[in-house]
Amino acid sequence: MSEQTFKLEAALKIHLLLVDDEPEFKEVMHKHLSRMGIRLSVSECCLDALGTLEAHTVDVVIMDMNMPGMDGIQCLKKVKERWPLIEVIILTGHASVKSGIEGMESGAFDYCLKPIDVRELIEKIELAAQKALINQEDNAAL
Amino acid sequence: MTIVDRLLTALRRLLRPEPVPPLLDPEELQRLFTVRYRCFRELLAANTNTLEAMAELEKALRDGRTLSMTFIRARCTLATVNVYKIVHNLNKIAEGRYSELERIFSRLQQSIETILEGNKGRADGEPLLLLERIGRAQADLTGEKMANLGEAGSLAGIRIPPGFALTAVATRLFFQRNQLYPKINHIIQQLHIADLADLHHKSAAIQKMIRACPLPPELESLLFTHFDQLVATMPGCRVAVRSSALGEDLGQASFAGLYHTELDVSRDTLAEAYKAVLASKYTPRAISYRLAKGFRHEETEMCVGFLAMIEAAVSGVCYTRSIGGQNTTMDLFFAPGGAKGIVDGTRSTGHLLVERTTPHRIVHRLEPADAAGAWLNDAQALALSEIGMRLEDHFGAPQDIEWTIDPVGTIFVLQSRPISASAFHAPGTATLTRDDERIVLHGGVTGCAGTGCGPVWIVRTADDMLRFPKRAVLVVKHPLPEWAPLLKQAAALVAETGSEAGHLATLSREFSLPSLLALDRATEALTNGEIITVDAANRAIYRGRVEELLHGPSLRHNPMDGSPVQQTLINVLKLISPLNLTDPASPDFHASRCRTLHDITRFCHEKSVLEMFEFGKRYRFDKGAAKRLQDNLPLEWWVIDLGEGFVPGYDVRREEVAIDDIACTPMQAIWQGMHAMPWEGPPAAGLRTMVSFLFQSALQDGLDPSRTKALQEKNYFLISQKYCNLSVHLGYHYAMIEAMLGDRPGDRYITFRFKGGAAGEDQRVRRIELLAEVLEHFGYRIDRIGDALTARVERESERFVVDRLKVLGYLTIHTRQLDMVMAEDGAERFFRDKFILEIGNMLNHE
Repeated sequence: MSEQTFKLEAALKIHLLLVDDEPEFKEVMHKHLSRMGIRLSVSECCLDALGTLEAHTVDVVIMDMNMPGMDGIQCLKKVKERWPLIEVIILTGHASVKSGIEGMESGAFDYCLKPIDVRELIEKIELAAQKALINQEDNAAL
Repeated sequence: MTIVDRLLTALRRLLRPEPVPPLLDPEELQRLFTVRYRCFRELLAANTNTLEAMAELEKALRDGRTLSMTFIRARCTLATVNVYKIVHNLNKIAEGRYSELERIFSRLQQSIETILEGNKGRADGEPLLLLERIGRAQADLTGEKMANLGEAGSLAGIRIPPGFALTAVATRLFFQRNQLYPKINHIIQQLHIADLADLHHKSAAIQKMIRACPLPPELESLLFTHFDQLVATMPGCRVAVRSSALGEDLGQASFAGLYHTELDVSRDTLAEAYKAVLASKYTPRAISYRLAKGFRHEETEMCVGFLAMIEAAVSGVCYTRSIGGQNTTMDLFFAPGGAKGIVDGTRSTGHLLVERTTPHRIVHRLEPADAAGAWLNDAQALALSEIGMRLEDHFGAPQDIEWTIDPVGTIFVLQSRPISASAFHAPGTATLTRDDERIVLHGGVTGCAGTGCGPVWIVRTADDMLRFPKRAVLVVKHPLPEWAPLLKQAAALVAETGSEAGHLATLSREFSLPSLLALDRATEALTNGEIITVDAANRAIYRGRVEELLHGPSLRHNPMDGSPVQQTLINVLKLISPLNLTDPASPDFHASRCRTLHDITRFCHEKSVLEMFEFGKRYRFDKGAAKRLQDNLPLEWWVIDLGEGFVPGYDVRREEVAIDDIACTPMQAIWQGMHAMPWEGPPAAGLRTMVSFLFQSALQDGLDPSRTKALQEKNYFLISQKYCNLSVHLGYHYAMIEAMLGDRPGDRYITFRFKGGAAGEDQRVRRIELLAEVLEHFGYRIDRIGDALTARVERESERFVVDRLKVLGYLTIHTRQLDMVMAEDGAERFFRDKFILEIGNMLNHE
């Protein structure tokens, strides 16, 4: 499936926040996601991301686990605690079974390894977006 | 109702007590379904991801290709995380009924982690040791090279240069103080090893990072103090700063020339030289070598020796057993000055072949034409030979020794290590040309490389399986786990569909059974009994026995064999890969029997399909929520929307719905099949059959043909855009169809279950046989127990699934009330031929 033929419906309706400190990765993701029409904000670190989340409505967060400052798992827990409807995809350049399971138990939607397969990540973003939108609908129905 | 009727009803309830499911309103039903449906999709996606990660790990081990811990850790993490998701989603679908799996998973996860973490037993000790205090016992602290050298220096008659070593403790201090480990791991994880430019780029980045870091002050002080002490005993002395990595003796790898050595280092450049040697662990060649030989970066800690430079008159290398293969002689290579030019091959050298036994007679001497006189005299050669044999005796294996002789004739040993094993067998696999006329089929994907020969045996049914001839080539349409018991007996496996990620492909690798998958038309092009040769690696099937393929060397030497990384992979795969739960009908198919991630995956997949299938049974819904489908069939069809099942713009206040209002693709396909041919009504039955039928009807609920109820039973479609669950009471039969038609192959399946009916056991079984034959003919996989039938289609193309739903639509209408005539002679064959013909026409006309 090429990127062009990938069906994006939910992802086009959401606001995505990318939290990563690697300039090259941010650049690549920005290029791909913008071209596909996905609304994207970028934060350098967890603290910066928490600020963005306070100021804007975000639906899906993609977060690197190894960033300066706050530990990725702690950051994930903070995000899910404060904004439970947001779906978080965690990324790591250093795979570990322990951190993967910890991430999932802390409420991550999915876990991706760097170097990233852009097509795979976009597919996960679409699924996370679908889930985030359903979360919001369910919440509105309550 | 008569007293007899009431008694019969009461008796039936007693015999078949069933809990009453909760009654749900449409919104609640929709919400429940949405949650389950979403979990189911997530489970299917995670299932695919797990099998892919698992297949990659198994394939890497089988192929003997270069493996890195990064690769293993990444794939193990993906498999584990995805199995977590599978268990989590199954429990959400099944409302926690499989919580036992969480404990089993947790235990497996911890065991996998322990294996991946590897040897944490790092030796503790001093950051610096004098060479004279170092022996083999300190190998975990100083690295092999310095440990061997220190030990050699302790032997009588052998001299080594004075010096000291900064140990692994010092290295860890330097790396930890500068927070280098996570930074380096991060870069290594993202390395594309096949991309040389990337390798060089990342290698340079790591080395630059290491060299830029300051030495911890206490380490710097220790280093300079000992250097100064060395200079105090040897005024003006400079040092050779040499690598000595941990674990170099593992897997019989030499590591020769892999790391950096700095010669003639003065006090001014001491710290820089130390860091340069530390950084050389990450040169492109060192990274590649470790990968190729299966060494773990984190367990190959670099230690560094500081040896006083010896003024060299002549230097060289001694192999105590000739590398030319002669067992009785040893090699001496030599040249004037230092040894560097010899080991890096930049200088012309002399060569002596000397007998290993005393008196060490020189059997061959070769010196370059430009050599002015003998570079190495006979007495020196004799002394070196004696030293070589002494070291070989001491270390218990032929040695590769670097030495130097100073101007006054003293011999110094600079290094002594075992000669690395180089048992390498050339693959030499025979290959035939593509236009070989014996090729029957070509293409597909290799599940497990290798060749196998035997008679073809096509397996479509359980009966075929039972008749499988030993050492036959197993040929199947789909590589399903059900065929697993045949793998041990088979000569090879060929399947029309599948990939290396499938269960059977995994098992074929476990059994080293050559397997070729996704080979289109295999079941059509091959005939039972014909002898074929399968060349799985070259993806070709030949008619007859092709000797030249079968007698080639089958085992290729794998440089990873016995390496720590390979051993880690083997150990971790034991917890991931074996499939013990192959038969869902077995009593052992239980959560408590899951011993690997593969078991959990298989178990959860089976149970999730079952749970989804039973969604309609588990909940009652308010019949008022259903819309009556406008139709001319003599049956009542009702539709419940589970979400996006109706086209946009449909007025939900309406009580009826037209087929054009339906957005559900699977339902549309079933409906088309139902209406493709007109139903001719129930077939005429003979008198004997009718009597039997009436008797059975009296015993069974809702089957009394004198009542119109059976024909007016409401049939419910539960639909979303891509999902359909149909419970259908077709007169005297009870059938359920569940289908999903998603974008991904894993999201496409049909399950059909059929049970019950009037008439006696014989007729019911015959009708099941008829249905099974027709469905198998159209590519369904069949499971049958008595008069209960399950038929499945999975992971097929969208077109294939749509067509098979039409087949089901046709059959649900046209097999109605067939029980009554199944006792008649020839009825089964008549209807089978009729159905196959009509369905074939239906599918061909579109």
